[in-house]
Amino acid sequence: MAASYSLPSSALPHAHRVHTQSQPASLNAWRMTVSSESLPSALEDDEDQGHDHDHDHDHDHDHDHNYDHSRSHSHSHLRSQAYSIPPPLPSPSHLHAHSFSFPRHGRSGSQTSNASYTEKPSIGGTGSWSQARRNRYTPEVIDESAHDHDHDHDHNHDHSHSHSQSHSHSPAHSHSHSNGHSHDHSHSHHHGHDHTHEAGHDHSPKRSLFTRTILPYTVGWPILYSIIAEKDSRRIFYFMSLNFGFMIIQAFYGYVTDSLGLLSDSIHMFFDCVALLVGLLAAVLSKWPKSQRFPYGFGKVETLSGFANGILLMLLSVEIAFEAFERLWEGTQTKRLGELFVVSSLGLAVNLVGMMAFGHHHHGHDHGHGHSHGHSHGEKHDHGCSSHSDHNHNHGHGHDHDNENMRGIYLHVLADTLGSVSVIVSTVLTSFWGWAGWDPLASCFIAGLIFLSAQPLVFSSAKRLLLTVPEGVEYNLRNILAGIGQQRGVVSYATPKFWMDDFGGNQLLGVVHVTVARGAALEETKDRVREYLLKEGIDAVIQVERDGDNGCWCTRGRAPTNPPQMSKQF
Amino acid sequence: MSSESEPLQNGSQGGAAPNPFNFQTQVISTTPVKSNVGQRRGHRYKHSSVSAQHQIFQEPPPRPPPVLPASLPTPTIKEAWKSLQRDQRMRLYWGMCHVAIAIFIFYRSGGSLAAMALSHLVFFDAGSAAVCVVVDVLGNFEVWRRSSIRHPFGLERAEILAGFAMSIFLLFGGFDLLSHNLKHILESVGNHEAHHEHEHDRISTGSLDLVSAAAIASTLVSAYGLKNHARIAKVMRVSYLSTLPSILSNPFHFLTLFFSALISLLPLLSISLYDWLDRLICAVISLAMFSLGMRVAVAQGLMLLMSYGGNKGDVGVTAVLREIESESGIARVDGAQFWQVHYGLCMANLKVIITNGLDELALGKLRNRISALIQNRLGEGYGTGGNVRWEVTLETTVDATI
Repeated sequence: MAASYSLPSSALPHAHRVHTQSQPASLNAWRMTVSSESLPSALEDDEDQGHDHDHDHDHDHDHDHNYDHSRSHSHSHLRSQAYSIPPPLPSPSHLHAHSFSFPRHGRSGSQTSNASYTEKPSIGGTGSWSQARRNRYTPEVIDESAHDHDHDHDHNHDHSHSHSQSHSHSPAHSHSHSNGHSHDHSHSHHHGHDHTHEAGHDHSPKRSLFTRTILPYTVGWPILYSIIAEKDSRRIFYFMSLNFGFMIIQAFYGYVTDSLGLLSDSIHMFFDCVALLVGLLAAVLSKWPKSQRFPYGFGKVETLSGFANGILLMLLSVEIAFEAFERLWEGTQTKRLGELFVVSSLGLAVNLVGMMAFGHHHHGHDHGHGHSHGHSHGEKHDHGCSSHSDHNHNHGHGHDHDNENMRGIYLHVLADTLGSVSVIVSTVLTSFWGWAGWDPLASCFIAGLIFLSAQPLVFSSAKRLLLTVPEGVEYNLRNILAGIGQQRGVVSYATPKFWMDDFGGNQLLGVVHVTVARGAALEETKDRVREYLLKEGIDAVIQVERDGDNGCWCTRGRAPTNPPQMSKQF
Repeated sequence: MSSESEPLQNGSQGGAAPNPFNFQTQVISTTPVKSNVGQRRGHRYKHSSVSAQHQIFQEPPPRPPPVLPASLPTPTIKEAWKSLQRDQRMRLYWGMCHVAIAIFIFYRSGGSLAAMALSHLVFFDAGSAAVCVVVDVLGNFEVWRRSSIRHPFGLERAEILAGFAMSIFLLFGGFDLLSHNLKHILESVGNHEAHHEHEHDRISTGSLDLVSAAAIASTLVSAYGLKNHARIAKVMRVSYLSTLPSILSNPFHFLTLFFSALISLLPLLSISLYDWLDRLICAVISLAMFSLGMRVAVAQGLMLLMSYGGNKGDVGVTAVLREIESESGIARVDGAQFWQVHYGLCMANLKVIITNGLDELALGKLRNRISALIQNRLGEGYGTGGNVRWEVTLETTVDATI
């Protein structure tokens, strides 16, 4: 770390990359710099495992990429040129950067995303591996056996892609991306770690028979179709239907048999359904495109829903505790133990199904999403990617930030399950010992558990909603901002406000006002700063002002005079 | 020398205690203080004369000091407590009192569903009052308002978040009351023994009056003393209440005051009517909580989703954009992001394409014109007292097609 400070921070992209990679970035996230969204996912796997087995080859490959990336930035708008350039020889600075990142990775072995690295010895000989890999190839790539060729291919894709992505954030684009990933998923389930590309973009191979049968019928209703087609919303939808059906049956049966326990439980079920409905809404909404009304899209909807769910759980736990104290105080006897037992066992069964659905997902998603962010980030701008990978890896729980919506729902179902378990246990205990206090006691315990489990969710989603920049990103951002002042013609800058964008990838968005020295052209300086920021992974709106023009509101907060040594010659 | 002898004496005086400093060595200082400072040669040190002759140790290029602090310290509870001014402390105590009153009402409302519903409302009021107090206290700190890299908009957005959480409480309370009500009805329909066993005796007249009086008093004090709900109410105006006099025009105060007044009248009614009305009031309160909670949640959620839902919302933004496009010198608007950060701040980030012939002076004027336009059209007007600041950022690109 100290070394990175003393590096001369020129405007050269190499130096910058070296700098950023000296941070604890794991190989996997770093790899995202090189890989592309649009390429068939099988290729990615190839790359993935290539890292594990064939280091020489790896090196080659990485250098190609690194180099090309930096190049693509310097000519970021010349797509055709980027295509025609043969992969140049690796330069020493790249070698340096590369060798740097490897030991780092090895050290930070605790991260989930590193699983691919640690798992490599379990894969057998290279031969069997390549055989397996070949089976997974998509048709376009199936004839390519030479590694080098693969990489060329890959890298070209990368280029075109990054180019288009950085300009248009159309949702259609991200969809095509998800299709590209579909293939990967089918196997990724078998390797524990390779949930990486699951990331909410899995398609046909993962769909169950049931989904496949009903999908054609839903084409008529676009909303229903969009629910069924996405994995997250599909799971929520299925579980909600199950919950709702169970609620209806319970309410009907309770009404017929005049049983209060069943009826009040079905009311509870109804509330669960509402919570699930909100989650479903959030999952569908989050796919909506940006608009004038929502200039940054609906990326935060899922975080918001997760936050709401977390708060709801906290309130619920408080209420449960309150009621339990009341019951303990009054010594209310629990009646109709048998009925209660049956009802709660049924509830437990339903909730266990939900736990399995969301729990598995939850897990996979957690690991996957972190990757997917780094990934999509990487192809927009590779420098920013390394900054993002910091985000993933500096925080132990960095990957937890991904989909708060699913996490909230999972916690909700978990809370219900715990509630059912507590009722079962307390009825059993009560029937044995006959003390009325078991039930309130168990309720209190469960309430405490629910509260504690909801806490991290609330905090992490609150942080995101407050537009807080995560620590790792903050570090890079500071350096990037200092670099603005080094651009030619820039005197100073004011009101830099940057926040994470969670629509598509985790890019930084923001605003900065730049003061331009007398004698430098406004337009050119703006373009220079813009290019620089884009290269670093920041999509900013840049307002340029002439030095000495204090008309803008941003001058109010600025220091009265600019030190003379800050202006650079040009 | 005399100054050196003093510590020596001190050392000998306090000789009973083990002294970590060996003052006897002071004798050495009779020789000149010249030490081996200049004798350590070698280029291990950047500032040594040897190092200056080669370029191994290069200074990093001079960088301007950062415009923003990377992060400002978030105050701990202790610091917050220390920073309290006198009136803030009074407000804090009152906030605690409000919560206590809410708990009191909750426990006194045993027999009456309506009173229990009222206690939920008072809980909400108390929670909002607490948020008001906390916001007030945090305003003492720089991290609250000032932008840093960590928190680009300060922490002021936290108030929106707290408001959103409170709206969740309203929704939850509404649901909770409804389900309670439903259970009661089911019980009374299902079997009467259970109903009567559960139900306490009808609470006495004095108790209900006390409850409603406490609710009214605490609401009024919070409304005037803390300006409770003032900022939320500004975001979501309820048109049919806006004609009412000052405090009543705020839907939250209106609800609490209205229903507590109603509940104080309840004991005057006959028993059968009482039972019936009790449930009805509970249902109405829960529905009101639910609908109000929905509106609050949407209003705050829009802000949290980085949208602008204020004054005229999307229509206003469209009108302003049309006006900007009609300005002389602007070819077209390439991208525009209007959004509200928190109660007092909105951002407008515009990318416009300007025609070729615009010189710098005209550009500066254009910028000022546009920010004045946005502030005047979308800022909350002059008379209403609410002042939303618009921070306008204008990125201009010269039209290349001409």
